[in-house]
Order: sequence, then structure tokens, then C-alpha cells
Amino acid sequence: MDLDEYRAGLDAWLEHHAEALAPAHEGKGTLDEQLAQIEKVKRLAFDAGWMRHGWPERVGGLGGSTLLRAYLQEAVTARDLVEPGLFSMQEVLAPTMIDFASPELGAIMVPRLLRGDETWCQGFSEPGTGSNLASLACRAVRDGDTWRVTGQKVWTSLAQYAERCVLLTRTGTVESAHRGITGLFVDMDSPGITVRPIEAVHGSEEFSEVFFDDVVVPAERMLGAEGQGWSVAMDLLPYERSTALWQRAAFLHRRLQQLLELAPADSLDPVRLGEVTQTLYAFRARSRATQHRMADGGTLGPETSIDKVLLATTEQAVFDLFADALAAELTTGDDPASSQWRAEFLYSRAASIYGGSSEIQRNIIARRLLDLGSDR
Amino acid sequence: MDGDDLALFERSLRAAVERRSSAELDHALDDLGWPDALRSDPQAAVSSLFALQGRAHATSDALTGVVADALGIDCDLDTGIVLPAAGRWAAPGRLEGRTLHVHGAALAAFASRSEALVVATAGDDVVAVTVPTASLPRRPVEGIDPWMGLQEIDARGLEATAVPQPVAEGWPAAVARAQLALAHELVGASRRMLELAREHALEREQFGRPIATFQAVRHRLADTLVAIETADALVDAAWLDGTARTAAMAKAVAGREARVASKHCQQVLAGIGFTAEHELHRHVRRVLVLDALFGTSKALTAALGAELAGSRRLPPLLPL
Repeated sequence: MDLDEYRAGLDAWLEHHAEALAPAHEGKGTLDEQLAQIEKVKRLAFDAGWMRHGWPERVGGLGGSTLLRAYLQEAVTARDLVEPGLFSMQEVLAPTMIDFASPELGAIMVPRLLRGDETWCQGFSEPGTGSNLASLACRAVRDGDTWRVTGQKVWTSLAQYAERCVLLTRTGTVESAHRGITGLFVDMDSPGITVRPIEAVHGSEEFSEVFFDDVVVPAERMLGAEGQGWSVAMDLLPYERSTALWQRAAFLHRRLQQLLELAPADSLDPVRLGEVTQTLYAFRARSRATQHRMADGGTLGPETSIDKVLLATTEQAVFDLFADALAAELTTGDDPASSQWRAEFLYSRAASIYGGSSEIQRNIIARRLLDLGSDR
Repeated sequence: MDGDDLALFERSLRAAVERRSSAELDHALDDLGWPDALRSDPQAAVSSLFALQGRAHATSDALTGVVADALGIDCDLDTGIVLPAAGRWAAPGRLEGRTLHVHGAALAAFASRSEALVVATAGDDVVAVTVPTASLPRRPVEGIDPWMGLQEIDARGLEATAVPQPVAEGWPAAVARAQLALAHELVGASRRMLELAREHALEREQFGRPIATFQAVRHRLADTLVAIETADALVDAAWLDGTARTAAMAKAVAGREARVASKHCQQVLAGIGFTAEHELHRHVRRVLVLDALFGTSKALTAALGAELAGSRRLPPLLPL
């Protein structure tokens, strides 16, 4: 199916099933409500086939260009059907499973994620390991046909809901840095796992601390070979900056349009409004080129760091404009719409932090794109 | 043009823009068939030439050619076109009956043309009027970039004897095309400034190590690349979507980001970048003039913002 055909078909389907797809909750909803809504949308879209396009047949997909996936993300976001950040997690985790899990494991697991039967999380960051990912310490020791995992992760999105975790573990010495890391696909109901949600500034317990106490993981759950975990991470991170960012641009476009409709006359500074709009359109143009490169079979690499910097700039600019124009709603509004704007404003502060901070992205741009050599 | 043709064309253009004077470059572009390329594949012709011209700090009459082509005028070698004065993008002329007022600018080659075409508003219409070049008082602009060869034209109360030709939709289309060309030139100039700053950062040592090892310097250069790629992406998108609004956005972003690039690169080049002998200042100067032609980033941005605040409707997004 080509993009135009898919676009027309999906739009018609979304229109026709608008009532069934609509969220039951008003405004942003609780995290429970957001997750339930995502599961519903995924199940309906998977069973109708739309969710399967753009994914390989060996993991339950219907094949076709990855552009179809990007359009799906855009279409549901533009209609405010799902919480966009949480909905886009599949675009980060599924491609990595396809690239690194054994074919049997991928074939069983990926459809469950796409259909919304399961939620997955990504266990990368640790208390002592934020930007310096290669220093991670969560330990996995080989024991016959199993790995035994002991350690801690943090900032793990949706861990309290997740059935599985894409986990990075230390299997070599700490000095082995990025060479001694192994990726594992872990069942979250394994004995020895404790999840403690963290309340974030935007009022949601989106993140958790996850503790592993001698957790047994079968060896066939390895992602790639022993010691290949760094490749898993490097493979995953550019995905975090491709389809997911295209969807983010659609989300920001919708919010900026709503802001234009809501803002009282004269509350929008024309120069700022013009500048934010231009930045959003430039971000969208940049992300579009990335989607096409991926669809044409190109590998995504350090150039996606530019997309990520641009996302952070754009997202914060859109919500800063909101904060300037609708200061009363931001600071004292208690209706569902104001609460949603406020939560999204607060969440936008993280755009320059999550998924590799803007400083880390600039380091990558300097070293890999500008070839400035090592920084020491 | 396909990939191979385009590569060959760009190689020839690269050699052509090395020429010293605008007249030499214009002759070389004619020999290369650039005017034909402009008609058959405007995006390839405009993007490759103007990016290279920006990089090389070269000048040519190509912008006049771009405007003429968008107006649908077969501009022979003997007709020049009056461009809007710096900072403006409205038609440079105003026709009242048969009386013509002109406030505009022209490129170096204009002086050698015997006739000049002035696009002018006439009530609610936009028309093109041809007058003898000699009838237009010109002031050679020294300004901040004397190498550009820009001229300022101010004429009040000229008598227009030729019959005005309608241009209808032509002027917004011409403005959009010129803005895209200038945006490419701004991106080209920005890329050259980044090259210069990068080379300097790798060579210049302080505290016993190249300054490229310092994060403060690295991040300025990284921000410069982000600025350039931001502008470049939007310029490409503007070609794809073909609207005057996106072209204006691309010009505004390219102008703003080129000024960001100027600032960062001048800071990294520090003392040497402050000398007349180093190449940098020419680009810094050129960027300011290019930003002013067909609307400064600030003015275009304010106009967009005012339009959106009025309509309360964002323009459609470029589809996937």
C-alpha cells in the first residue's frame, strides 16, 4: 500500500470510528486512563490492519514503507486520541526488538506490543548513569542457561505497567565501559523485581525506579550477543529521534493551533508567534527528511541529534509562548483544559533532558558531524 | 536533472563562481546554460548556484534572472529589473496615471542595460513598466558590503511612455522565488563561515591544546550546524510545497540563522576574525545585506505573526 492510499484509508477509518476511538476521559486524564486509551486505540487499529502496516511480516506486520507508521503516529496525534509521548514508545522499542531479538522471540513478542496487549519499558538510565550511559552498573552474571541480574534502573517510563523490559546490563568489568554491556529482554513479573513509581513535576507517575534483586533471565532472552548491548543502545537511540519526533511535530502543531484559538486578542507577540511557527515548520521539514531517509533504507545515525536539538527548542518555544499568552490559565486555572496545558508546559521542560540531553546532542554533533576530534 | 547531470552542473558552477567580477560570472553562467537550467529545473539551478555563490562570496546578476523568470518575462541582455529596496518586498514602483515613482535597488549588471523593467502597483493592480535605464537616478551603494555592487534607485515623477503590462500573480511568485534564492545564498555563506571557524578551532592552540577541545567552543560550532541545517531543511520544504508563505518563512529562518552563524563563528575566530585580512568579515557583511533583500528576517517574521494572530489559523503543514 502506498502512502496516499494508506493516508486516505486511515483517515476514513478514523473518521468512521471516531466514537469508538474517542477517549472516555476529559482533558489529559490520569496515567491509568491514558494507558487504557492507548491500549484501546492500538487494539482497534491493529485488528483493522492499520497498525500493522510499515512493520515486517515476520513480526506480524503487513510490510510496506516505514512512512506508513509515521503517518499513523501523526494521524492519531492530530486528533488528540492518545497521549503522544507514551504512544510513540513502540516506535522506539519494536525496531530494536526486530533488529536484535532472535527471530522466534521477535515474532511472538512484537505483535503483542503493537496490538496493545502488552506495555514495554526501556531500562537504560541508572542513578549513577544519566548522560554517561557507558558507565552503567546493573550487573548480569552468567549462570548456565540463564543470566542473574542485580542492580537498579531509574527514569524507566511506564515500568509499573510494563510486562517486559528492554534492559541494558553490565556483563563485563566496569572498566570495559561500552564493550561490557549486554541487552536482555526481561519479563517484569520475574521474582526479584521491585518497581517504585516517581511522581514527576507534571503530576504524573510516568517514571519509576526499578530494582533487580538476583532476577533470573533465560539466555535466549539476550538481545544480540553477549557484550553487544552498546549496539542495542546505539540502534535504539536514533529511532527515538525519528518516527517519534515526526509525531511530536504533529502534536506541537496541534497545540500551537489551539493556542491561536484560545489566546485573547493582543496577548500574542507577533514576532514571537511568527518565530515559533517558523521553528515548528523547520523542525517538521527536518524530521520529514529523516523519515524519508529511513524509509529509503538509510541507517539513522548522529545526524538525528540535530532533530533532537530542534525538537527541544521547538517544544519549549511553543509552551513558552503559551505561558506568555495564557499566564492566568498556566498559574491559576483549575479546569481540565488548564490542567492539561500546565502539565504539558511542565513536561516540555524535559524535552532538552530526556533521550540524551541537549548538551550530549551537541557533543555528538561536535565529534561525529563536525569531526572536531576528542574533547580532551 | 538527474544525479550525474546535477553533479556535473555543480562542478561547472563551482569553477564559475571562482571568477572575480559579476560580469565574468554572468558570462560564465550564460556559457554554462544556467538560464536554460533555470527554466527547465528551477530548483536545481537556483539551489546549486546560490549555495555556491554564498559560499564563495561571489556576485552575479542571477537574482535578476530568477525574478524575470518567475515574472514570466523573457529578459534579454539589454533589460535590467529593479528589485525592491533593502528591507522591502513590495513592488518597487508606484504608477499614478502615467507618472511613475520608483524606490528600489539593482545589482551591478543593471548599469550596463539600456532598458529597465519596474514592477509597480497601479491602484489595485500590479503592472510592469519599461523605462530607459538612464532615466532612473542611481546611487552606487558602498554600505556594509561594498563588494556586492548594489545600487539604490530613487525616482519620483517619471513619465512612463511604454504601455504597462499586467503581471497579476507574478509579483508574489517572483518574491517567493527570490526569497528562496537568497535563502540558499544565506545557507551557503553560513556553511563557509562554519568551515572557517572549524578549521581555526582545530589549529589554534591555547593552554596547550586546540581550542576545539573546549566544550564552550564545540557547542558554539554545534549550534551553528544546527542553525544551518534548520534553515536548509525549511528551504527544501519550501520548494516542495511551493507556497509564497513557506518561501518567506524559509528566507526569514535562513536570515536569522545566518546571523546566529555569524555571531558564533566570529566569536570562535576571535582576534583573527576581527582582521580585514581574514575572509570571515566579508561573509558577515554579505549576510546582513542578503538578510535585508526581499525582507529582513525580523520584518518577515513579524508579518507572519500578525497574519496568524489575525486569522488564528496555522498554515497547512507540509505532508509526509
